[in-house]
Amino acid sequence: MTPSLTLGPVLFNWPVDRWRDFYARIADEAPVDTVILGEIVCFKRAPFFATAMDAVVDRLTAAGKTVWLASPILVGSERELAAMRDLTAADGDDAVPTGATLIEANDMGALARLAGRPHAVGPMINLYNEATLAWLAGRGAVSVSLPAELPAASVATLAKAGCDLGVAVEVQVWGRAPLAISARCYHARAHGLHKDGCQYVCGNDPDGLPVATMDGQPFLTVNGTQTLSHGCLCLAAELEALAAMGVGRFRLSPHAVDMVRVAEAFRAVLDGRREGRAVAAELDGLIDAPLVNGFFHDTAGARHVGGAARFQSGKEKPLSQKDKGSMS
Amino acid sequence: MDGFELICPAGTPAALRAAVDAGADAVYLGFRDETNARNFPGLNFTREDVAEAVAYAHARKVEVFVAINTYPQAGGLGPWRRAVDDAARLKVDAVILADLGLLDYAAGRHPDLRLHLSVQASAANADAIQLYREAFGVRRVVLPRVLTVPEIARLNAQVDVETEVFVFGGLCPMAEGRCSLSSYATGLSPNKQGVCSPASHVRYEPRGAALASTLGDFTINVFGADEPAGYPTLCKGRFVARDTPAYLFEEPTSLNAMDLLPDLKAAGVRALKIEGRQRGKAYIGAVVRAYREALDAFAAGRPVPRSADLQAMVEGGAQTTGAYKRAWR
Amino acid sequence: MRDSDATAHATADERARRIETQLSRAGLGLVPRMGRRVSDRLFDRLLHLLTIRHPRAFTAFRAMPDACLLIEPVDTPMAFLLRVGPNLSLRALRRGAAAPGDVGGVTADAVVRGPYAQLLDLLEGRIDGDALFFRRELTIVGDTALILALRNTLDGEEMDLLADAMSFAGPLAHALPVLRRNAGSILDRLDAARRLLPSPLRRGLARVEARLSGLAPAPEA
Repeated sequence: MTPSLTLGPVLFNWPVDRWRDFYARIADEAPVDTVILGEIVCFKRAPFFATAMDAVVDRLTAAGKTVWLASPILVGSERELAAMRDLTAADGDDAVPTGATLIEANDMGALARLAGRPHAVGPMINLYNEATLAWLAGRGAVSVSLPAELPAASVATLAKAGCDLGVAVEVQVWGRAPLAISARCYHARAHGLHKDGCQYVCGNDPDGLPVATMDGQPFLTVNGTQTLSHGCLCLAAELEALAAMGVGRFRLSPHAVDMVRVAEAFRAVLDGRREGRAVAAELDGLIDAPLVNGFFHDTAGARHVGGAARFQSGKEKPLSQKDKGSMS
Repeated sequence: MDGFELICPAGTPAALRAAVDAGADAVYLGFRDETNARNFPGLNFTREDVAEAVAYAHARKVEVFVAINTYPQAGGLGPWRRAVDDAARLKVDAVILADLGLLDYAAGRHPDLRLHLSVQASAANADAIQLYREAFGVRRVVLPRVLTVPEIARLNAQVDVETEVFVFGGLCPMAEGRCSLSSYATGLSPNKQGVCSPASHVRYEPRGAALASTLGDFTINVFGADEPAGYPTLCKGRFVARDTPAYLFEEPTSLNAMDLLPDLKAAGVRALKIEGRQRGKAYIGAVVRAYREALDAFAAGRPVPRSADLQAMVEGGAQTTGAYKRAWR
Repeated sequence: MRDSDATAHATADERARRIETQLSRAGLGLVPRMGRRVSDRLFDRLLHLLTIRHPRAFTAFRAMPDACLLIEPVDTPMAFLLRVGPNLSLRALRRGAAAPGDVGGVTADAVVRGPYAQLLDLLEGRIDGDALFFRRELTIVGDTALILALRNTLDGEEMDLLADAMSFAGPLAHALPVLRRNAGSILDRLDAARRLLPSPLRRGLARVEARLSGLAPAPEA
């Protein structure tokens, strides 16, 4: 299987013009195979992007990209539920632009609606083991994107199971890791506002709002109701190992940086033209955060294991075996 | 219509007896391993403990639920499947599961075993809940703590599954089972290892008169000399955003929905759940007793007694109705 | 009617508890005078007895990795070093000497500090440790997981530490139940007597109590 690059949905609240221009450049220049669109974090932001959605889908498909639409992460209110149902409707509702070929489910409700039809399972669905993967495949999943916190051993088992089941397995290899979702808006809260009267303050931070510890150590990133890592997940140096496990799809999560350059760098590694480690070193510092890969190496996600990239914290010693083990 | 069912936590056999004696309708507990979401040192039940717990509870007409609510590890499903098999063999009244694969296994292997959906599955809408109902025959869903009471009411009108909601104890501000914050700081997560902000990675560090709490490589809070302290649960920490140190995600408060009993009843909620398998038997006894009195009073149409004596028990000495009211968002 | 009975009952219990706590704290004041070997033997016997009465907890302690917890009641002259793991042991030592890190040649992995009465209540699961900690009445240093494991294990028992401790102490074994029954009236009489005393004597009584409980230095004999 030829390894393929996926561009995940933009998670941040960018002005719609910037959003449209971003995808125009992706269509023209970025060597990615699949582009996933959709406002998956906050229902309140969705109307802005809806106005440009058809044009962006057309532009991307005309450039030969496969376009999928992603469903929201958290569906609680009636209006959110109605929107999710429109997106996942079987009869090609107006909510789904022609040209988009698959829906990627990010909540169990969407998964329920998509049963029996080919669909993708997004990284916000709790997929931790081969039994769950088999169950999902049985209901029509053709591609799954694994949760960011999975360690290498789990990825390997799932990639193998995916090969056996005929389900493509994807892993996020670049961009801040999504860590949590809430009904509460932390962006609004940080501005002393309520979610209902949020004034869309999340729009001030195109890569999210930095959150530091009381000692001033950078730690997390707030994006409205979502919390992301501060560190930028980067598995460029692990790409070869991932491919050897049978992972066939590699996801880049968009940030307000030169994503064409990021895509080109990863493409070069996948094509065997460049060393993963060298690419990691080149991309280090592209966003103002250290590179991290701890989840994959079965340690704290905030850590960086191996290679020449910077560590996140001053405490650089790796976790001892005692620290790592679960308590008994 | 029947009154609420009161579902109470137990981390040890002594806590189970305290909960039963204080008036629980059902007690939930976990095996002593990574199969449950309170996999804390010194806590939880061996198979023999569960057998004794079931005997003690059933003799007093109290039910026992076993939480097997972490996500089985790829390539190592054994402990989770054995936990389900043993729970069925030990004649517990229900198992509380979250993982799709494990639900599939339990429904296929033990068709008579009652299945509840854990809050860790975070089923927040009618379509999600119907999926668990139709695919696995789940009989009850513990709702994630992200919904308002009106949202719960609308949801109950659309599903034919019992719903259970948290009314007291620690409050996750994030959608449960969809959070990797702990994992990011320590490598250990609620979904994988059944621990959030694990004690093995916690340190308290005096800084003059102040007290700092750290988790992994990160400072989670610094308490002034006279400030009440807290366990460094990551999302209850104090962090700096926009140059202001604050409880960005959630204050160190405890959920208490005792004032909302009429609303929850009108919303069609079947069971009320108390959080705190990690808390001591003194706490569990006191909280269960207070809720038993409140539910008895409510069922009899009497005014619900104030629960002022619970104030001292809760983190930060403060209580909230959490996501049940829209203002929390 | 039932309610007020219950209240009166609770109060008597609380008073009995207060006396027990004060007396046992005073008893601890005697430990340093016993000499190391006598004291060690006494705590070996206590541990042996607890192991028999609470097999679940003490089997769990032996199954833990080797580690030492220092328990420091801040209002007594003594501290306790509990070693868990295959070499389970309990030792009393002078509190001043017990700095975390190095205790009589043994390294303490964790320290719990707090008032004696609260620590005793905590050991017996009478109060909620988390609540105490939130109120900053307890201080925790070092290996938090060790402290949590011990707390959770002990909380899983129904433990009456004083009754257990006194049950091998000869005549004292009979004294405790009598004391518990009569605590209310003893306290009443003590309080009444105290009120009747002229203030210099009251201060003298306080000094005696302080000496008994080891807070004040004993006069040179």
